[in-house]
This record gives sequence, structure tokens and C-alpha cells, in this order.
Amino acid sequence: MKSLVQRGRAALGNQQVLLLVVLILMVGFFTWRNHIFFTTAVFGNILSDWFPVILIGIGETFVIISGGIDLSVGSTVGISGVVAAISMEHLTSHKVGQNFTLVLGFLICVGIGLLVGLINALLITKAHLVPFIATLVTMGAGAGLAIVFTGGAPIGGGPDKTISLSVPDFGPFNRPGIAIVILVSILGLYLHKARFGRYTYAIGSNPFAARAAGINVDRHLIKIYILSGVLAGMAGYYYYLRLGVGAPTSGQGGELQAIAAVVIGGAALSGGVGNFFGTALGALILTTVTSGLIIINVAANWKQVVVAILIAAAVLLQEFRNRVRK
Amino acid sequence: MSQSSQPLYEVRNVSKHYGSVKALENVSLSIHAGEVVGLVGDNGAGKSTLVKVLSGAHQPSEGQIFLDGQERKWDSPHDALEAGVETLYQDSGLAPHLSVSSNVFLGREQTVPGILGKFGFLAQKSMDKIAHENLDRVGIAVPQSNRSVSQLSGGQRQAVAIGRAVSWASKVIILDEPTNHLGARQAGEVLHIINQVKAQGLGVIFISHTLPHVLEVTDRIVVLRLGKVVADAPTSTFDAEKLLGTITGLIDAK
Repeated sequence: MKSLVQRGRAALGNQQVLLLVVLILMVGFFTWRNHIFFTTAVFGNILSDWFPVILIGIGETFVIISGGIDLSVGSTVGISGVVAAISMEHLTSHKVGQNFTLVLGFLICVGIGLLVGLINALLITKAHLVPFIATLVTMGAGAGLAIVFTGGAPIGGGPDKTISLSVPDFGPFNRPGIAIVILVSILGLYLHKARFGRYTYAIGSNPFAARAAGINVDRHLIKIYILSGVLAGMAGYYYYLRLGVGAPTSGQGGELQAIAAVVIGGAALSGGVGNFFGTALGALILTTVTSGLIIINVAANWKQVVVAILIAAAVLLQEFRNRVRK
Repeated sequence: MSQSSQPLYEVRNVSKHYGSVKALENVSLSIHAGEVVGLVGDNGAGKSTLVKVLSGAHQPSEGQIFLDGQERKWDSPHDALEAGVETLYQDSGLAPHLSVSSNVFLGREQTVPGILGKFGFLAQKSMDKIAHENLDRVGIAVPQSNRSVSQLSGGQRQAVAIGRAVSWASKVIILDEPTNHLGARQAGEVLHIINQVKAQGLGVIFISHTLPHVLEVTDRIVVLRLGKVVADAPTSTFDAEKLLGTITGLIDAK
């Protein structure tokens, strides 16, 4: 029989439990300061913000666990949304059916995400650039192209029903959000229960051991960066649905948000560590802070300070735990 | 040890050139089932190159490789692994963040039956159990095979690394400096495991700089110097002084 103290200590040693406590405290605090916070409408808003962050975040989780980093995801959100918007505006002005246009827009976003992911993967595995530099290159190129294609202005003029698709109509959930939750849950299972995830951890933990065990490390990394790119492309589509326009700025800072979610979730940038629930909760905490501070009337810029403190706390906690283990 | 029987694993007249550098020259080495052969030599004697040839990582420029009397050619370490020749490199090691059983099964994961297995979902419980049994068989006591390797001591880690190689080697196991960086007691445990492996009828090639370990655990010692075999004799014919002299060239064994 474990004593209550032991159990409490074990729970506190578990990052997900801690994150859940932090989240509950935040919800409590914001509700105490303004009762409007505790409503379906606000939760719907928070979740609407959360869906794209967890979508990019789960891709970034795979990347970071493998020992890499993907800085290009924010730009991929922008460029995929913009190209899809331009295409959908064109199709709509030619009286092409709404459903067909929307499906094509989705495929374009996925395709562009795939392309960016593939470029990252080839730069890393074939040209042997470190992931930071490889994805810094595509991050800059993507952001630049998004502005070149649009002249900097958002592109609208898509199908009329675009915006209605992202309205929460299942409690606080909207339809694309439900699809996202299902998709990232499957990916979470792949991370923790399937060979794909096992190889991801192994490569991040010790690439030499992974190679010696017969794992095709390059091929696995290519898959991971393509996955990250495709998920960012999907997030680009989500923002298009949410805003009704493709804006070159819509993914700005998305990479930092995703990395923050992964790190707050307990991952180590040195690889081999991280988990799905941590990232999901990390992303939820980030989006809750954003909405909460607005609702309690705190200047928006404080958000960055709070996020910075959260990241620092998460990293310090991990350092502390590593030291205790040794 | 019946030396008249057919060797389990053998290289004959192997040479390896890197450009104009001759790393190995006309080297022959054989190993029988249930035999531990020590491979020693100074730095640059060609030990690493020979290990790479034996493990399939490098292809010899000249010479032949025989496994069970059949000539074989390894295009990659994977070929050698499939044929039952496992190599434990001193620098490859384990994935510290993964559990003991995940390391044992790394690259050879078992999937659950049915449709989920086709999607790569893992039979973790079964792997935990088998890993535990396999390690137990060679006398490696790891408290729980689902513990992460980073929580083990250096000796335990090395034991798991050897246990992993032993679990999969059906014929030959090549151990490159397995007692490096280990304390005396832990090294003793590793040597004990090598004896267990030998008792199971595997051939063991033991590469080490630590001559007392070589003298303690091997049946036969092969000494390399400047890419050539300068001695190949039963361990009982060596003592520490003679072995050191042969390695350095102060004693001419031939």
C-alpha cells in the first residue's frame, strides 16, 4: 500500500497532473475575476483558438521528440492559407460549386504543407543542415512568399458558407475542431502505442543506437517533417475557415506557440522526451491565458510575459526532476 | 574445445585498404560454437576495421567470410544481423529514454495481432515479458523491464546492451570493449554474462584493451599488430607479460 504522501509526490512528479492543476487554477482565477469567463461561449472561443495550436503542436511534438525543431510551421499556416484563398476566390468568381471549392482548398493546404515538410526533410537528411537552420530557411521563404502572393492584404471572396463552418455548434466545439480532436488523438496513439512513435523516441534519445538497431533514421525523419508540414497546412485551412480570409499574417508566431506548448507539456529540446497529453494541455493553457487576460481586462501584452513565465517554470521543473532522478 | 570441428564463423585471408593505407593484411580468424575468442592489439592495429568486416559494416577488399562453412557476403550490418551475427559497438549503446524491453526489441518490435498490428501498434506487454525472460536466461537481473534505461546504473546498462545482443544473436556475438568505463564489480558481472552466453553455444568475439579481462574470460587470443595477425593461440599459453609483449612487438610470437 502506497501512502498518501507517496501518491501525492508521484502525482506532482507527473507533469500532466501539474499542468491540469495549473489549468484548473487559471480557470478558477479568471472566473473569480470575471464570471463571464465560465460560459460555453468563452470556452468555445478558447477551444477555437486551441484547435490549430494543438494541430501544429502535435506535429512539433513528434519533431522535438526526434531531437529536431520545426520553425517553419507558422509560415506554412500563412502560405497555405493564402494560396488556398487565392484559388478559392478564383473558383468562386467562376461560379464553381461551394463544396468542391472548399474541398479543393483543403487539398491545396495539405499539399503545400506536404511540400514545405518535404523541403525541410530533404534539407535535413540529404543536405545535412541542422533542423534549426533548415526550417529557419523555409520559415523565411514561406513568410516572404505569402506576402509576395497577396501584396500583404488578406484574400477573401471564397465560398459564402466558409465562416459558418467554424461556428461552435456542438457545445463549445465546432465541426473542424471535432475532426482535429479525432485526428490528433489518433496521432497521440501513434506516438505512444505504435512503432512510428517508438522510432521517434529512439532517434531523439540516441540516433546511433537507432541506426545500429536497423532503423532507417533518415526515412523516419522525412516522415516526421512531412507530418509536421501537413498538419501546419491543415491549420492554415482552419484559420481560413475561421477568418473567412487567407491572411499572410495568420500563422505569425505559430511556431513559437507550438514550441511553447510542447515545452510546457514537458518535452526536452534535446530529444527523446515529450508526450501527447502534455502538449495538448500546454496548448490549452496558452490559449486559456490569452482569452482569460482579455476577459479580465489585462493589457494583451501581458500574455507574452505570462507565457514566458510558464515556459521558464516548465523547463526549470524538468531540470529539477532530472537532477532528483540522478 | 574440439578445434577439429568446422568453425562457426571464419574470415580467410582478409585484407582491407583505405586508399593506400592497408588497415588489414591477409588476416584469418575463426571461431567455434561455445568459444570465446579475444581480439587484442594496440591502437591502430586494425581491431576496429576487423570488427567492421566481421559485423558487415565494411566490406573487405580481399578475402572470404564463412558462416557455418558457407561463404557469405555482408552488404550491410543488417545482413549479418539477419544471419545471426550480432555486434555490440562501444559507441552505439542504448536509447536511454526508452524502457529496457523497448531497447531489447528496438528495430524488431512485435505488433498486436489483427488490423491494429498492421498499423504498427505494439504488443508492449508481450515484449516486456519476453525481454525479461531473455535477460533472465543470461543471468541479467533487471528489476522491471518497463523501467527506463536512464534509471539504471552503468553496469546494468551494459548488461542490458549485451542482453539485447544475446537475445537476437543465434550464432555469433561480437562485443567491442564491453567492460570499458565499468567498475571492477560491474565488469565482473559482464564477464559472468559472457560465460553464460558461451555456455549457450554461441561464439563470442571479445575485443578489449583490458588484458586481465581478456585473460580471464577467453579460450583463445588473437593478437593484431599493424594490420596482421601476429599470434593466435589458446589463452592458457599466455600470461599478462607475454600478452603485453606480443601486442607491443617486444616479444615475437612466431
